[in-house]
Amino acid sequence: MLEISKLTVSYGGRKIIKELDLRLNKGKILSIVGESGTGKTTLAHSIMGLIKERSENGLIQGEILLDGNDINKMSKEELRIIRWSKLSLVFQNVEDALNPVYTILDQVKEPLLEKNDRESEAKAIYMLEMVGFPVHRAKAYPHQLSMGEKQKALIAMAFVCDPEVVILDEPTSAMDVISKESVIKLLKTLCKDRTALLITHDLTTAASLSDNMAILYGGCIVELAPTSLLLSEPGHPYSRGLIRSYPDMDRTKDLQGIKGTPEFIENGCPFHRRCTQSIDICKDKRPRLIAGNHPDRYIACHRGGIVPLLEVRGLVKSFGDFKAVDSVDLTLFEGETLTLVGESGAGKTTLAKTIMGLLEITDGEIYLEGEKMKGNAFHRRIQMIFQNPGESISHRLNIFEAVEEPLRIQGIGSKDDRFIAVRKVLSDVQLLTDDEFLKRYPHELSGGEAQRIVIARALVLNPKLIIADEPTSSLDASVQAKIMKLLNNIQEERGLSILFITHNIALARKISDRIAVMQSGKIVKRGSSSKILEDYYKTDDNHTILGS
Amino acid sequence: MHVRLLIKIKEDIFGKLGLVLMALFIFSALILPFIFHDTESHSQTIFGPPSSGHILGTNDVGQDIFSRLIHGTRTSVFVAVGAGFLSTLISTFVGVSAGIIGGIYDKILMRLVDALLVIPTIVILILTASYINPGVWVLTLLISLLYWQGGARVIRSQTLSLKERMHISAARTFGAGRWYIIFRHIIPDLGPILVVSFIHRARMAVFMEAGLAFIGIADPLMISWGMMMHHALKFYYLPVWKWWLIPPGVALSLLIISFAFLGYSLEKVLEPRLRNA
Repeated sequence: MLEISKLTVSYGGRKIIKELDLRLNKGKILSIVGESGTGKTTLAHSIMGLIKERSENGLIQGEILLDGNDINKMSKEELRIIRWSKLSLVFQNVEDALNPVYTILDQVKEPLLEKNDRESEAKAIYMLEMVGFPVHRAKAYPHQLSMGEKQKALIAMAFVCDPEVVILDEPTSAMDVISKESVIKLLKTLCKDRTALLITHDLTTAASLSDNMAILYGGCIVELAPTSLLLSEPGHPYSRGLIRSYPDMDRTKDLQGIKGTPEFIENGCPFHRRCTQSIDICKDKRPRLIAGNHPDRYIACHRGGIVPLLEVRGLVKSFGDFKAVDSVDLTLFEGETLTLVGESGAGKTTLAKTIMGLLEITDGEIYLEGEKMKGNAFHRRIQMIFQNPGESISHRLNIFEAVEEPLRIQGIGSKDDRFIAVRKVLSDVQLLTDDEFLKRYPHELSGGEAQRIVIARALVLNPKLIIADEPTSSLDASVQAKIMKLLNNIQEERGLSILFITHNIALARKISDRIAVMQSGKIVKRGSSSKILEDYYKTDDNHTILGS
Repeated sequence: MHVRLLIKIKEDIFGKLGLVLMALFIFSALILPFIFHDTESHSQTIFGPPSSGHILGTNDVGQDIFSRLIHGTRTSVFVAVGAGFLSTLISTFVGVSAGIIGGIYDKILMRLVDALLVIPTIVILILTASYINPGVWVLTLLISLLYWQGGARVIRSQTLSLKERMHISAARTFGAGRWYIIFRHIIPDLGPILVVSFIHRARMAVFMEAGLAFIGIADPLMISWGMMMHHALKFYYLPVWKWWLIPPGVALSLLIISFAFLGYSLEKVLEPRLRNA
């Protein structure tokens, strides 16, 4: 068992790992996932006791307990004894890890050399065989081998002394899919009764190999949870960003990145500058890893992970005796796209208008960021994009006036401020901002331009939530593509939540994180878009998704 | 739909004609009375034919007919503009508030409108006028109070349709209150209808004022075309009627025609189905 507490590693005064706590249990594989530069390899090296030796100004604090003994306090001699026999590492860089002037066999048996030479050779051969290395080539030199073979040799090296704790540092990077698969299988069996730590930036490897997953960012663990839970429902904004940027066979939504670039942050949450939901405290105080909203999940976030932005509880909207929306419950998280699909007359638009406050609620409650929605004050945070762009802009207003109107109504800024804000938002939606264009009237625009004006107008108040009711149904496919891309980018930049309404399943598939199917005023099905669509593919007709 | 009214009207022959006539009348109502200001002094000659001193001759008491014609223009234009404006204002208030507030308020007002629509208001007007012999101001007020119902109904239905329009919904989603919606969206959107309504009410007011004066129940001191015709008709057996009776008749007709042309042209501009290709 390996226990790390308050581990801090700094190079030249810069903290690479910050007060990291981690516990590895026997028989479980924990993956540490993060992008380059987040401190993954530093963590591996500090567990191996390599920091002090490698870098002169490397400073390591905290405890790394291997069966109760602190690796940080061990002498070189003590370290030498436990390395390979108790604690081993599968190195990341295949090329550099092997010595070019020794044969593979010599290198694999090297950790065993203290024993009888013949015995160790037999053991090395056995190990090579076990990892699927072509044994007849055991006497070859590294440069004569393929990448996969070299990787297998390294794995054999790591396991040959039967260590208790294994650290796998990117064991499958630079491998093709097929050799990757076999290596993963192999590692799975090899790690069965050991304590294993997988360090990778490759989510697929982590997904198939590890039981638990920890997401590392800026030297801190931001989320720790069972792998499947973390991947299907990431709790931390960074985890979600990372998963969203990763191509995956199941995810249907377009790739999205994370805004900004990784930067070194001394105080506060390491992610706060790139986070779309950060608040003041995030700047000043580093959050601790605490139990999250799920019993097995731990999250380091001042806001408790991704915030539920909109909560609709038991919403009913009736016209006379007819219930157009019938006890709908809905939660929309920050930075998420939820698509409402359903046939015409299912109550999608009524639901949207009721949330928006255009229709009176018959029964039920709507909360925005935990506050009950009432009156006009919420309109700064929630905006709507209407179906028909031509009609939703007053024909009397020119473009500047139309886009400025929300600011004017809300009384934001002076005239000059508003002018700047309007130009900025117009350039955000990739429209012209020159005076001639600002003075044009809506009927002088094409459908796509008008819809972008409508989007700009909705965005000018910088809302957290946009309800988009068939915003692209009247547009050409190419314009639709542009507009959806635009919304996706804004979501990435500002953490915009989108409640999207459409009856176009193919479009819903490409843009949504989750899909809810509505039918006669009720939500009959909901789930991640891949799951909902799985059902859709299984059946012959569209009725299962857009009907009964 | 975005229309630049004035430009469109100028493209229309009726509109152009209406505008020119209207400009002429407004000019003579505003400026000419300062030049031909002598309407009261009695000259030596009565029933005088046109001369250098009196362009259209003099009437039964020796007053200058042309000066009175010019001052009559002022009365007619004032009543037209005043009553047109006032009655449109009342229609707008009633129509918009009924459309926006709805419910029982709307029901009560619309029944009132129904009642006013079926009652022959001209009778009320004549009866009231014969009691009080109204001057220009009172007459304007009276006409306005009796002729707003048709406009109110049209404006109400337009308001009902407008308030469901998407750009109004959009404004509401920006947090706009009721007053903002009414003054910044609904009333400006009603603009064209209000203009047409104004023109029609104005035309009717000119006609009403002349009619009441003609039958002699307006304020006898008022100088107006109707009053001139009323007096002139008593002397139909003298040759004087040529320059006493005909000029106010022609002026009245021209003014009403100019309003009619303008109204016709406006409707054409605002109703795309009537627009020529």
